[in-house]
Amino acid sequence: MGGKVTCTLGEVKNRADFIVYWGGNPAECHPRHFTKYTLMQKSKFLPRGRKDRTVVMVDIRETKSVKAADIFLQVRPGKDFELMTILRAMVKDQEVSDEQIAETGLTREQLTDLIARMKGARFGVMFFGMGLSMTRGKHMNSAALLTLAAEMNAFTKFVAMPMRGHGNVTGADVIMRWQTGYPFGISFNRGYPRYNPGEFSTVDVLVRGDTDCAFIIGADPGATMPQPAIDHLAKIPTIVLDPHVTHTSRLARVHITTAPAGIAAPGTGYRMDEIPMPLRPALESPYPSDEEVVRRIKEAIAAKPDWMGQQPQMLLSQI
Amino acid sequence: MNPITFRLKQEPTVTLEAEVITPDRMLEMSRAEIAASTLYHGKRQRRLDEFFEIDGERSDHLILHGDLTRVRHLGRAMTRGSLTVQGDVGMHLGAQMKGGKIEVFGNASDWLGAEMLGGEILVHGAAGQQVGAAYRGSMAGMRGGLIVIDGAAGIEVGMRMRRGTIVIGGRVRDFAGLEMKGGTIVLQQGAEIRTGAWMRRGTIISLQPLQLMPTFAASGSFNPTFVAVYSNHLRQHGIDLPYRAEAGRYERFVGDRAIPGKGEILIWRENAA
Repeated sequence: MGGKVTCTLGEVKNRADFIVYWGGNPAECHPRHFTKYTLMQKSKFLPRGRKDRTVVMVDIRETKSVKAADIFLQVRPGKDFELMTILRAMVKDQEVSDEQIAETGLTREQLTDLIARMKGARFGVMFFGMGLSMTRGKHMNSAALLTLAAEMNAFTKFVAMPMRGHGNVTGADVIMRWQTGYPFGISFNRGYPRYNPGEFSTVDVLVRGDTDCAFIIGADPGATMPQPAIDHLAKIPTIVLDPHVTHTSRLARVHITTAPAGIAAPGTGYRMDEIPMPLRPALESPYPSDEEVVRRIKEAIAAKPDWMGQQPQMLLSQI
Repeated sequence: MNPITFRLKQEPTVTLEAEVITPDRMLEMSRAEIAASTLYHGKRQRRLDEFFEIDGERSDHLILHGDLTRVRHLGRAMTRGSLTVQGDVGMHLGAQMKGGKIEVFGNASDWLGAEMLGGEILVHGAAGQQVGAAYRGSMAGMRGGLIVIDGAAGIEVGMRMRRGTIVIGGRVRDFAGLEMKGGTIVLQQGAEIRTGAWMRRGTIISLQPLQLMPTFAASGSFNPTFVAVYSNHLRQHGIDLPYRAEAGRYERFVGDRAIPGKGEILIWRENAA
């Protein structure tokens, strides 16, 4: 089962004496992360700062972040899930053979040392990046790391956190979660939220062509999604709210230029540890904010007569 | 009893949720009631006869014709009768069914027989992902019954299943039997990687060599008696499950030690000629 054992970056900064980065390259992708939250900061609990912390980097190749780490574990590509499963077994003192460990590209000594350090830590944290969540196995890779972190709490305090990027994606997840109970992959077609990633998640819906309209705010699926999804976006009426001309806005029927959030429009951004941060605009923009456009569309729809008729029925014994 | 025939006359442009098409409901319905029952085309409520030509009434034998790739939740929670699909069919076919029989002459999609409790599903084509699996956030997948797929299947076949049998004729993709808690999966053409990952109990039988998770341990080879019983039972569906000691033996692997679990993976090894 999934579940997330997590904390804020403030706790990491003040308490984390054991830090693992798995499949991420913060030195290049989150350049201020090391200095602001993890490596350099001194605190009441870690008075010597960097010297009080152990940093482990797990990746398939030696990235620039490796230089900042104490230990580098080079895992064979596509063996992350296997390695985490071995760690879960070894943490519980289960036997795993040397050949089985060798399959992952690491040695028994490396793993026993890692586990001893993990169990000996006072506050461990695992950060994982796209090297984990976007390679073969996808959500199960993330689930493996989150489960490992959860199970480590039998020995010591341990948390896990995804290294998120791309603007305010965390904000979208958080808002969906407190409004509907689910973070993404939600369908409202029966009048109440239903959650089923794979069925209702955007990329799958677009690839299958199960939608006849698309409304896109602050994202550029035309640049990142697979070709069948892009082809379908070009086929259907696509509406894009974006400050810039993007791949998606080029294939859209309607592109409403909005003020860039945080620069010319106020709002709230969510940091990767789900802490809301107020955004104060520095410039003025002649364009409306995303929020204003959506509110005006909503008001225009609310003014129209109700076309739904009777209330939709719940799917019995609901998933 | 004459069956009711549904013929798709209008292709749905978005998904069509048709949980009303089950033998249990159709048994009580006159032709007019069937025609007036509600389908959800996206979020719009539509009459059944806008999409289907209907022939027959008051029967628990249903036959559907046409490309039903976008039609979801057919045969949901059915307890009796039969549902036959001539063509491809969409997601959640036979989800949570308790009894009766579903037969598909075409391809099925994701969540086939998800969380089913009993009954039979036969697919004479390929299936999608999460066959007989548990829905997200649910503790147990299929808890009884039989799913037979002639073709291939996608990832996470039998995810968190607790009882019942899944037989797959083609090759399945990653994570077959993920977090399995019981029941049996028979893989006639083997699987891609991570078969049986995180399994607690249950049996995965593969007639082809498998790439196993590193957390499984070899545990001898033998000819278990229960495979003979399964073999006899599955013969009626045209499945040949070898069990005789003259022909070969099953190598047994136990795992997944990460849990630590007591699941078993049996891999058929033919005797050298």
